[in-house]
Amino acid sequence: MIELKNITKIYEVNKNNMVTALNNINLTIKEGELVVLKGASGSGKSTILSLIAAISKPTSGEVIVGTNRASKLPDNFASDFRRDNIGFVFQKYNLIPTLSAKDNIILPLVPLNLDVKEIEDKLEMVLRMFHIEHKANQLVKNLSGGEQQRVAIARANINNPKIILADEPTANLDEKLSLHFIEMLKELKRDGKTIIVATHDPLFFDLDIVDRVVEIHQGVLA
Amino acid sequence: MRAKINIYLLEYAINSLFRQKYKSFFIAAVLTAIIFLLTSVFFITNSIKHELQSTVDSLPEIVVQKINGGRHYDIDISVADDILEITGVESAVARVWGYYYFENAGVNFSVVGIDEYEEQYKNSFAFVAKTLDFNKQSMVVGEGVKRIMNNNYYKEYFNFIKPDGTLKRVDIGGVFSGDTELESNDVIVMSKESVREIFNMPEAKATDIVVRVANKDEIATVASKIKLLYPDSRVITKDDLKISYQNIFDYKSGIFLALFVISLFTFFIIIYDKASGLSSEEKREIGVLKAIGWRVDDVLKEKFYEGFIISFFSYLSGVILALLFVYIFKAPLLQNIFTGYSQLKTSFTLPFVFDMQTLALVFFLSVPIYIAATIIPSYRCATLEADEVMR
Repeated sequence: MIELKNITKIYEVNKNNMVTALNNINLTIKEGELVVLKGASGSGKSTILSLIAAISKPTSGEVIVGTNRASKLPDNFASDFRRDNIGFVFQKYNLIPTLSAKDNIILPLVPLNLDVKEIEDKLEMVLRMFHIEHKANQLVKNLSGGEQQRVAIARANINNPKIILADEPTANLDEKLSLHFIEMLKELKRDGKTIIVATHDPLFFDLDIVDRVVEIHQGVLA
Repeated sequence: MRAKINIYLLEYAINSLFRQKYKSFFIAAVLTAIIFLLTSVFFITNSIKHELQSTVDSLPEIVVQKINGGRHYDIDISVADDILEITGVESAVARVWGYYYFENAGVNFSVVGIDEYEEQYKNSFAFVAKTLDFNKQSMVVGEGVKRIMNNNYYKEYFNFIKPDGTLKRVDIGGVFSGDTELESNDVIVMSKESVREIFNMPEAKATDIVVRVANKDEIATVASKIKLLYPDSRVITKDDLKISYQNIFDYKSGIFLALFVISLFTFFIIIYDKASGLSSEEKREIGVLKAIGWRVDDVLKEKFYEGFIISFFSYLSGVILALLFVYIFKAPLLQNIFTGYSQLKTSFTLPFVFDMQTLALVFFLSVPIYIAATIIPSYRCATLEADEVMR
């Protein structure tokens, strides 16, 4: 279960360009749920994902993910928490363009110093799962937008996390590729993962796999 | 499991260097050049120091010369007998020697005379005394001298031109290796009789007298007694010679200091550039790595590998190039700066001196500093929130 309790997030606190991204948000997401965070650009959707992933900390309030107080974790513990529990698909994918697809996918495993066999098994599994085997050795910068997104999803799943966070996953895709992405989400949902998608793409709002659509407007839940 | 070397992390670091291949190559090239210059200078100075030390060690404890009007003249052999009377003097040997200028090669040879039964004041001469045939007109030459003579077609003998213009033929009876490179490249040993003939020196005269003192603490006292006995003499102790040699080297070491400062200055410009910050791409990459679960120490470890690979590669390349440059190619240009033409002979070869301290000094001046300059800005970036770094 994911719980956001009285969350306020202010960027550039006490500065002229101070922005209140979230204002006293309360949100609970159950295990295995697929929740869509709906809202316009700048409404605070991405900030919620960042807080759940412990990539940033709230100005006030508390984020609890399972048994972890994500908002209170020291830096290294937050990294361990992300590695073990979170698969994050960033809006611009955040891949390293000059590395191959497979090198990008195994990046979360690199610090673990696992055996070659174990890494290869995990890699093979996600390559197959997200239909990207044929592009494994190609440099990411030479892949199309849809292929890059599949690499990003494969990377997010290499550690088999319980929670998948996707930030505007279809913003750079055409309709066909967006539908393909939704198919991948269905598979992940079938695997019992908790999925949170931040989007303003109407494609997601009436999907039967979506358990709940949470609307957010100027940092406040509607 | 975490204790063993993380091959994937190492591979990532190598990939990272290749991804910025032009930048990495430029830094490695400049670092290699600086380390090469610095190490070459250290190697040359070490070799010269070693050579000077060996020269000083092989010098006699006291040398007595006759001086008149500030100039050096031949001294009476009888002076040696008077010196032997001084308490504490172990031996006093009249030396017969001189410089012979070989015009064809443009070099000076030191022609030294020895007697078969006298005590030799140098280890190398003791060896020569056993091989030299005193009954024949022959000589034993240093390895470098032999080479010069060979190059000038004197393979079996050499014709010395006497002061009266006539020739004296002396056979080359053997080759010896001196206590120092300088000696090997410069010295010809033959009987005193032959030397006297070449330099037209009377029987009762010698070039100077070398004195050995039993107790090293008494050298100064014995020297002052000789001075009292022969006020017209110049008494030179080993310490005086040591200071004189040291002064020559100190003058040369000014050039070393200048090169050293230039190298360090260049190195620190690179370090300053590295330490002053990361590019926006590098920052973003650190943010992404943290966002996907890398810890701060994982990022720093990877940056450590990057810094170590580039600096250690440069260190090894610089040192190997310096070894080749100094000891195989005889340090063209640099050697002339340090050895010059007047103090040491042109044929002087730098002796190989392996000094771990020098290698360690260059290592600690380059590798850890470069690694620190790589890690510090990465640490500053990696300790920020991933979200803040990526934005």
